[in-house]
Amino acid sequence: MPKQKMNQDWFKLDNSAKIFPSVSNSSETNTFRVTVSLTEEVNPENLQKAVDIILGRYPMFKVRLKKGLFWAYFDYNSKPFIVQKMGHQICSEIIPIENNGYLFKVLYHHKDISIEMFHSLADGGGVMQLLKSLVYEYLLLEGKSVTPDNIIATKKDKPEFEEYEDANAKYYNKKNRKHIPEEKAYRIKGTYLDADQTGLISGILKTKQMLDLARKNDMTITEYLTTVMMFTIYKTQIQYREHIKANEKPIKIFVPVNLRKHFPSKTLRNFTNFIKTNMRMDKPDISFDEIKALVKEQFAKGIQKDELIRKMSENVAFEKNIFLRMTPYFLKNYVLKIGFNMLGIKLNTMSLTNIGRTVFPDSMKPYIYDVGATIYAGKFNTIGCAIVSYEDQFKITFSRSIIETQIEREFFRHLTSEGLDIEIESNYVEEYS
Amino acid sequence: MKYCNKCDISIKSNHDYCPLCHQTLEVVKKENVVEKYPEYQSKLRPFQDITKKILMFMSVTSIIGLLITNYFTGFDQLWSLIPIGSIVYFWLLMTVGIFSKHNIASKLFVLTMTLIFFVYMIDELSFSAGWALDYVAPILLLSCNIAISFIILIKRINYRDYISYLLLIVLFSIAPIILIFTDVVTILWPALASLALAIFILLFIIFFFPKSIKDEIKKRFHA
Repeated sequence: MPKQKMNQDWFKLDNSAKIFPSVSNSSETNTFRVTVSLTEEVNPENLQKAVDIILGRYPMFKVRLKKGLFWAYFDYNSKPFIVQKMGHQICSEIIPIENNGYLFKVLYHHKDISIEMFHSLADGGGVMQLLKSLVYEYLLLEGKSVTPDNIIATKKDKPEFEEYEDANAKYYNKKNRKHIPEEKAYRIKGTYLDADQTGLISGILKTKQMLDLARKNDMTITEYLTTVMMFTIYKTQIQYREHIKANEKPIKIFVPVNLRKHFPSKTLRNFTNFIKTNMRMDKPDISFDEIKALVKEQFAKGIQKDELIRKMSENVAFEKNIFLRMTPYFLKNYVLKIGFNMLGIKLNTMSLTNIGRTVFPDSMKPYIYDVGATIYAGKFNTIGCAIVSYEDQFKITFSRSIIETQIEREFFRHLTSEGLDIEIESNYVEEYS
Repeated sequence: MKYCNKCDISIKSNHDYCPLCHQTLEVVKKENVVEKYPEYQSKLRPFQDITKKILMFMSVTSIIGLLITNYFTGFDQLWSLIPIGSIVYFWLLMTVGIFSKHNIASKLFVLTMTLIFFVYMIDELSFSAGWALDYVAPILLLSCNIAISFIILIKRINYRDYISYLLLIVLFSIAPIILIFTDVVTILWPALASLALAIFILLFIIFFFPKSIKDEIKKRFHA
């Protein structure tokens, strides 16, 4: 019996991971994608070999989801992982049974290598690290002379316990876990695309221009883009229609925060929280500066350590509730589903996630020309936006589950009016039939 | 490279309209671009789809027909449940047994348990002779036990995927002993044979794979 030596071969789901298996379905897939574009065509055989190597290094991804009596858990998966050719579907539901039980996919298309990950298993930061390691091993197999330079974890490093710890529980504070009720958010409406279709539009900007523009406004890039997003939604959806009842709800942008930057942790699993901007658009003449001031204030408030710990502890406290813990899993599933549909999803207008700067070792840079990220767009949050930058390429990717492209159009037109050069990519979902 | 003068953006694509505002693009430089995203491909397989529809239609109409006929012959004799059960079991066999990609031990477990329920129903609806619980149920449990054990012996690498089903079926094989004590079952040897095998397998696991059992329990019952 071939036996792999591993410290641990099953994992409890971490705090944020627990909700996703219960609330995910074909439209709310809770999947996201990160892509690295190489300078040459991808060789699927070597990619397959690289994935096999990488899974030995990251045992926490070589798992399947199983149900226990009280909670689901990740169990060691003995089946082989198979890389797939990219299809038209973007961030589609990951159906474990079609995927040998794995909760992520590795896809290739011409020069692109993508990982589509179910959010239960890891967050953007964790997957970026996995993708970097994968590309590194792939380039090695292709015969390129690349070095890890302490940026990339290679097959020679040993997996560490810290990489799969539940960091949320580590920073749990019993005294600071107050639940603050929220009201429902404004929802962007539109004509739905078919269930298996997602519209994609990405804009490629120059990082330097983007940074200068944000600095000129005395903001970080994320703050600035959130402001533009709120202003765009206001302009295209609400302005002069504030009196309509549906438009009275506040626009709320959900901005994930990578907690690794605020609390020391090396975990690859979910360790993100969020800042939420919140503004009721009840006037016909709201200016950009007005939104700017508010976003700045809400970001400053949301990023405070106390507030972040409160939000973390609020979630962990929910999981520690003795009644919920003792409920059998199949009942819990319903509880979580109902709770999430009533509360969770309707509290956001959309998500805007900034994965940030991707750093590769100098030796790898000649082989990589682009990095991208995409989040899923569901029935309620019809538009999603993911941002990632690599060297001088700054990529903003919109995914949508509706046909209309007003918001993308006005968003990019706002940026071009500020003097930015933009190149657009799209998957031309309009032509699907 | 193409250019949209309305949005003031450049686009690298073979398509000749702007993805943002859908107006026709100016061509700055003619070139053949590899599209960033793959083309649309329908996922549905039409043949399998139509066969399934026909079978589904036939099943549903037969079930309704059977129920109506049964109504006229009197509902005190529920004979129609036997053919209806067969139809339902056929679908179960198709979906769980053949087309599902679940692991084989779970398929065997589900099919055995439903088959026991089904034969028990036939027995009760016909002459209530008791053959279902006396003979069929223990022998089915026995053969399922043997089958899963053999699968584990053959596919040893994947034994972890099957062990929980083996434990479950072993537990269910112990159940007939309760039926003996409550005098529901009068013929002893099939129930005892199935029980003996179950205990044998259980002891085998406890002696040779004690860690698997411990791990399995830890995993399944963590709160």
